[in-house]
Amino acid sequence: MSSDEQSPAPEAGHVDPKALGSRLLMGAGLAAGYGMFAAYAVRFLFPARQPRTTLAYVAHVDEVPEGRALNYTTSGGRKIIITRLGRGRAADDFVALGSTCPHLGCQVHWEGQNDRFFCPCHNGTFDRSGKATGGPPAAAGQSLPKYPLVVKDELLFIELAEEGLAAGEGRVEEPVATRGPGHDPCLYPRAFEDARRRGGRA
Amino acid sequence: MSSVSGWFKERLPFDGSKLQHLTSEPVPYHMKRWWFCLGGTPAYLFMVQVVTGILLAFYYEASTARAYESVRYITEDAAFGWYLRSVHKWGATLMIATMILHQMRVFFTGAYRKPREINWLVGMLILVTTLVIGFTGYSLVFEQLSYWGVTVGGNISKSVPVVGPLMHDFLFGGAQYGAPTVPRLYVLHAAVLPVVLVLLLVVHFTVLRIQGVTDFRFSDEDEGKTFRFFPDHVYTEIIAGLVLMILLSALATIFPAFMGPKADPLTTPEVIKPEWWFMVTFRWLKLMGITAAVLSMGLIVFLMFVWPFVDAWIVRRTRNKEVSTVVGVIAVIAITGLTVWEALVAH
Repeated sequence: MSSDEQSPAPEAGHVDPKALGSRLLMGAGLAAGYGMFAAYAVRFLFPARQPRTTLAYVAHVDEVPEGRALNYTTSGGRKIIITRLGRGRAADDFVALGSTCPHLGCQVHWEGQNDRFFCPCHNGTFDRSGKATGGPPAAAGQSLPKYPLVVKDELLFIELAEEGLAAGEGRVEEPVATRGPGHDPCLYPRAFEDARRRGGRA
Repeated sequence: MSSVSGWFKERLPFDGSKLQHLTSEPVPYHMKRWWFCLGGTPAYLFMVQVVTGILLAFYYEASTARAYESVRYITEDAAFGWYLRSVHKWGATLMIATMILHQMRVFFTGAYRKPREINWLVGMLILVTTLVIGFTGYSLVFEQLSYWGVTVGGNISKSVPVVGPLMHDFLFGGAQYGAPTVPRLYVLHAAVLPVVLVLLLVVHFTVLRIQGVTDFRFSDEDEGKTFRFFPDHVYTEIIAGLVLMILLSALATIFPAFMGPKADPLTTPEVIKPEWWFMVTFRWLKLMGITAAVLSMGLIVFLMFVWPFVDAWIVRRTRNKEVSTVVGVIAVIAITGLTVWEALVAH
């Protein structure tokens, strides 16, 4: 059995330029091919891309008078309170904050006369940017999440992450009345839920 | 430099010439023909599957609630996720296709005959394991095909006499498709079966190395002409690997993996088609009752496993080595025919 017919050992000190060229070409091809794959793999492992967002229509700017707020529910069920703070018609004159209190999940509402958001359950307060200023949320350093707003042709849109959004449209709801003692959904969550399902009050 | 190599040699007394001896196995000259190298192709593709599979596992979440969304994230949001998922999908397709071609080559050249019956059996186990990995793989996406594919697969396994219900409950993690199903398909797909496959491949290659490749001599070759495994054959395999990578990238780019409709247990799709490698089974199931189909399928797979011994018996009785070729041609025509039939008709 002869085994050396295909690649005879080169003489010492002599390198066949053709063989060297093809080896270099092959090495470069391997490095480029698998190098590219490795680069893709590394990019894949660092998810740099921001989550995709979509603009959802809320209302005409005139439907929200200055100092008033409206409650908005996304198609995925997240509750957001959109408040008009300024007289202007730009997006900066509005603020959109998650209206679920980070303390125990009650709904906060806007108190124009006090220039703050208020949670009736345990007297949590937040300033107009959503930062907690009093009550349990301030003690825990929990603020309200803020959502970007866009005004186009006097129409107000809210920017929401697409991930987790169910199909369908968000909706503007009637302002929720402040609930007094005895109607605290945190203290009586089941009674509140049952009543809500029946369509009445707890 | 020598001090560094000396440091290692003191601790790892490894003799380089032994490695050279191990890898310079003379390879018969017929191996220069590419269709004799088809066995190396699925092995390379398996490595591609392991690499891309590990990358996909960084984002995949094995639960009924998150599986579809995590695959959607990989496909649509993660950088190059679409590419890696598509390469993984096409890698599986090509792996099975080249494995079948390799098996056909072995069959029609009679390379399974004595003394290579054991390696044929191991090869059949490799094929079956690969098909099950493919099946569990597309079940993980949690789209309609995944859900109903597993449901049909579960029903098939249930109709196997005696062990069927046990197999069904093992596959589903309970009496029906539920929360434990996707995690267990994932463990089978990404941990248990790949380890089984690696062990089978080690046995396959070890037996191949011990026995050497089957001797063949084409009329244009000199007697006993060989070339070295390293570097000559390894170079051929590297080139084949690069060509496969180009092919995979092209397929992944031109025909990327999309998201099908999400699994909906309440809506049975009008038309359900498995991946192409199960179309023959699916058509067979439609041709007869489920128990008859499962039993006859089991008999056919059993015959495939023990074919070297059946062939030896036929050769002893008839002195005719060509019977096996005729059987092979009929089998290829039947399998191709049933696959094409299933692919073309709506129901």
